[in-house]
Amino acid sequence: MEEGIVTNIQHFSLEDGPGIRTVIFFKGCPFRCKWCANPETQKFHPELGWSRGSCLQCGSCVKKLYKYNISLKNEEVNWGDKTGRAGSIPSQEEVDLACPTKSLHIIGKKYKVSELIDILIEQKPFFDETGGLTLSGGEPLAQPNFAEALLKKAKGNGIRTAIETTSYAQWDVVENIASHIDYYMTDIKVMDSGLHEKWTGLPNQKLLSNIERLLGEFPKVHFRIRTPVIPGVNDNPEAIIAIGKFLKPFENRGELEWELLKYHRLGVPKYEALHREYPMGLVELSQDKFNELKSVASFVFENVI
Amino acid sequence: MAEKILSPQEKRIEANKGQVIFSKGSRVQRIYDSFQGSRSSVDVQRARYFTESFKTTEGQSLVLRWAKALYHVAENIEVIINDDELLVGRVGGQGKYGLIYPELDGCFLQSFAEQAANRVESPFEISDEDIRIIQKEIAPYWDGKTYYEDLARSLPEDVLKITYDPVDTFTSRFIANETSSMRSALQWVHDFGKGIDEGFESIKAEAQEKLSQLNPLDPHDSIDKAEFYEAVIIISDAIILWAQRYSDEARRLADSTKDEKRRQELLEISRIAAKVPRYPAESFYEAMQSQWFIQLFSRLEQKTGATISNGRMDQYLYPYYKKDIEAGKITKDFVKELFQCMWLGMAQYQDLYVSPAGVKFNEGYAHWEAVTVGGVDKNGNDAVNDLTYILLENKREFPLNYPDLAARVHVGSSQEYLEEVATTISDGAGFPKLLNDEEIIPLLLAKGADIASARDYAVSGCTEVRMPNLDTFTTPCAFLNLGAVMELTLRNGRMAKYGDELLTIETGNPADFASYEDFERAFIDQEKFVLKQTFRQQYIANRTRPKHFASPLGSALHALCMENGLDLHSEHIPGGIDLGYFDFIGLASVADSLAAIKKNVYEDKTLNWQQVLSAIDADYEGYEDVRQRLLHSPAYGNNDPYVDEIAKLIDRVGVEFAKENAKYLGVNIDLRYVSQSANVPFGKVVGALPNGRRAGTALSDGSSASQGADINGPTAVLLSNFNTKNTEYINRASRLLNVKLSPSTVAGRDGNAKIIALIRAWCKLKLWHLQFNIINRETLLKAQKNPEQYRSLLVRVAGYSAYFVELSPDLQEDIIQRTEHELSA
Ligand code: SF4
Repeated sequence: MEEGIVTNIQHFSLEDGPGIRTVIFFKGCPFRCKWCANPETQKFHPELGWSRGSCLQCGSCVKKLYKYNISLKNEEVNWGDKTGRAGSIPSQEEVDLACPTKSLHIIGKKYKVSELIDILIEQKPFFDETGGLTLSGGEPLAQPNFAEALLKKAKGNGIRTAIETTSYAQWDVVENIASHIDYYMTDIKVMDSGLHEKWTGLPNQKLLSNIERLLGEFPKVHFRIRTPVIPGVNDNPEAIIAIGKFLKPFENRGELEWELLKYHRLGVPKYEALHREYPMGLVELSQDKFNELKSVASFVFENVI
Repeated sequence: MAEKILSPQEKRIEANKGQVIFSKGSRVQRIYDSFQGSRSSVDVQRARYFTESFKTTEGQSLVLRWAKALYHVAENIEVIINDDELLVGRVGGQGKYGLIYPELDGCFLQSFAEQAANRVESPFEISDEDIRIIQKEIAPYWDGKTYYEDLARSLPEDVLKITYDPVDTFTSRFIANETSSMRSALQWVHDFGKGIDEGFESIKAEAQEKLSQLNPLDPHDSIDKAEFYEAVIIISDAIILWAQRYSDEARRLADSTKDEKRRQELLEISRIAAKVPRYPAESFYEAMQSQWFIQLFSRLEQKTGATISNGRMDQYLYPYYKKDIEAGKITKDFVKELFQCMWLGMAQYQDLYVSPAGVKFNEGYAHWEAVTVGGVDKNGNDAVNDLTYILLENKREFPLNYPDLAARVHVGSSQEYLEEVATTISDGAGFPKLLNDEEIIPLLLAKGADIASARDYAVSGCTEVRMPNLDTFTTPCAFLNLGAVMELTLRNGRMAKYGDELLTIETGNPADFASYEDFERAFIDQEKFVLKQTFRQQYIANRTRPKHFASPLGSALHALCMENGLDLHSEHIPGGIDLGYFDFIGLASVADSLAAIKKNVYEDKTLNWQQVLSAIDADYEGYEDVRQRLLHSPAYGNNDPYVDEIAKLIDRVGVEFAKENAKYLGVNIDLRYVSQSANVPFGKVVGALPNGRRAGTALSDGSSASQGADINGPTAVLLSNFNTKNTEYINRASRLLNVKLSPSTVAGRDGNAKIIALIRAWCKLKLWHLQFNIINRETLLKAQKNPEQYRSLLVRVAGYSAYFVELSPDLQEDIIQRTEHELSA
């Protein structure tokens, strides 16, 4: 049975596809977007995390998990090894026994497809006629066999499927996954590949060509293209218009909309929990500017939300 | 500046600077303005005239005395018609008023009269003259005669000590708390249709006919039944007389007004009040006035739980509506205006509790005279009609808490209906509350109802239901404090608050329990013992109630009472079903406590009993690490079988006990989980609990999770509810279930579809009740101040989720200011 690593499972999700959905956040992503709001989903291996707010500074972790080099200095719990090497961090069980508050926690858990299906079946009454399963992440396409097995089984149990993805993978992987999807959400961040690479770590040719083919070859699948509007990256009319132009030829295919998402800083505490630097610093995007860009977008493309 | 998160209703209120605004200069606005600034005051008229009459009827049968007393009230109570009113009738003076029922708990009146205006919870104004009347005329007569005193005297010592303080029986101990002295019967609904369609002349004729058929040689007939039918005749005359006085007053006012439009209105009111409820109503307006008179007169009769509910208004009023609207005699706007006049009348009435325990159970002045809409009809077909939609629409447009609107839902409920329901929910305060035909109808059948009556149930009180011609009055039952049961287990039959006194049984010192099973068994033993005492208490209450109360009006409207010549308060009525229930308070608090001990002490061994008990003794002062361990253990409300199994066991002990022992009480007595605000006073007497809850704080409420512990969202809350029901037993009643939603969830794109999906799932899971709380700005501010109680509050943005309390203060502020994001808890 296929197995994969998952960051988090979220029920009663109302923003990740139609209806009431259960979102499975995959762990691991080939990109390193500087604005990423889910940094805990970037690495493929389990990690330690620590929440300052609930920590009692009791030092129990330092004592009980001494093997793993945990320290408590200046009211900060930290640990030496962040490589993800096998055995470099304690197990879930060890952490649970050590930390009374769950301040210290393990991010990333292995699941078998069958375990996830059991969880989904329990949630089925809530899906009604519109909701269902959403794969998110992280990047679901980065665990293609796991994702495929999960989607197939879900479909077999009458559960509708959606995905939030970068569309960054070999075409046959993308094609295969898309064939099990009812509702496909994918990002287009910026058309300039150089900028794309600078801000996300990878160029964009592959994902753009995948998206183009998907829009043409999967007429029955509903697509939602998402553009996070990020200060300094694409918060200018030119960048937005460029994306609009890319989508323009598909304007009449139906089942396609383009959603602009306003940059937010809600991921900041998660960086702190992982002892990572937040790469965006203090930038902000004003509501006025966002609204302005949205109207620019609607000028180029009909179905903007 | 970004917009704040407000529900549409909040927005309206904010736009009007905190004032409730109806359409400007409208009739309803003027009526509202006439009372909204007034403080709630005690109106002594009902108690005064009732007592005056009682002084003169000693020795007669109770039902006759009651009818005569109400006749005396009807003759003397002030008749007031205010400007602008279209429906007339009130049972107190001007402004907001509450009534007192000295027969129930008059023993508290002396102190109440002195303290009413200054008490912290729900204060009431009272004039010096009225204080004198209470202290000189009313209270002395009832001294020693009240239901409360009789009950307290009748309880055996071992039951008494977990009910009241044995030294001062006026003080409740909140362990197995009786509630029968707070109201004379459980929540109730009349067959309003009968009153409106037939009128009291016809009911009177029916009683006369019955009288004439009695067997003069059978004293049961010639005395008991004869007195009952005489009482029905007197009560019919009483309500007719009272309505006639309104007719006379309307005519008097019509003669003196210079405003021609108002004169015409008053003449119409005068005509109608002379006609109904005496004769059958023939128009929608007459039906509404008839209903309002009957409803109000019921408040004079007695204090039933939550106040008499309104029943299925979209059903019994529909024929009148249809006839008039088709004939072009009324418009939809007029229909709405009449409804609003009725809601305004309700809003002026305040539910007054005299006893200190009663006040604590029911903080505020709220009453729940539920209006039921939707559901199936007697044949099982969908019952929704135009009036259903008008009532829903009216709830959206009318910004007051009244009426308490309840929508019935069944698997076949139409999309259109649910759309209207969802729109109404998202528009404001989470109303209507929902009741599930798929759970309720089969349960009523299993308890002995015929199919037509079961399908025709009406919501009554906050979550309960009644079948108006089949159900009978039942005695309010005990609220059983599970938190106290846990403490009794930890302290070997004692509670910190009540010192060394052995309150229940000794089940051993926890530190000696070798296994979790030993601990669980001790808890169950305590639970069963308190249940046993509760049922003994109930037995006495059941026996005592009919000696103190009668209900000639309620009986006149009840088919079985009229048929059998028996008052509705009789212990049993042939053909009737007696449905009573007792409450468990704090299910999640104790299930979580058991789970926390199981996990930490017996499985992980991260704590030992010594640590836990010392921490609890110290109310966790200096034991934060212990407390955090316990707090972060498996918790009910997360669809976690580890703890749901435990909660299910606690429930099973309750329903099994009811199944086996209700027969000794001779009534159905079922387990329910509806704490209203009682989880607060019950929590006050309970020390720290092993789920990390501190001493004196609220217990978990209804069938909800411990405060903030449901960190997996509303679907998990619903599933835990589902998982913990013992559906092989029928000895269960309602479970109150609140689900929190943010305005952006419900207002956003597809907001309705999402609410509907949740409603349909709830319907399929066969859960009894569901109400949505709309999270607003206030909730977020509270969460900032008090993070621990709001651990479950999620911040949702597309592709992202995190807990609100984990965000930094500035990000929290950001959330409070934004509207684009998604929040759900
Ligand atoms: S992370 Fe946990 S164990 Fe470590 S100091 Fe904080 S609360 Fe104590």
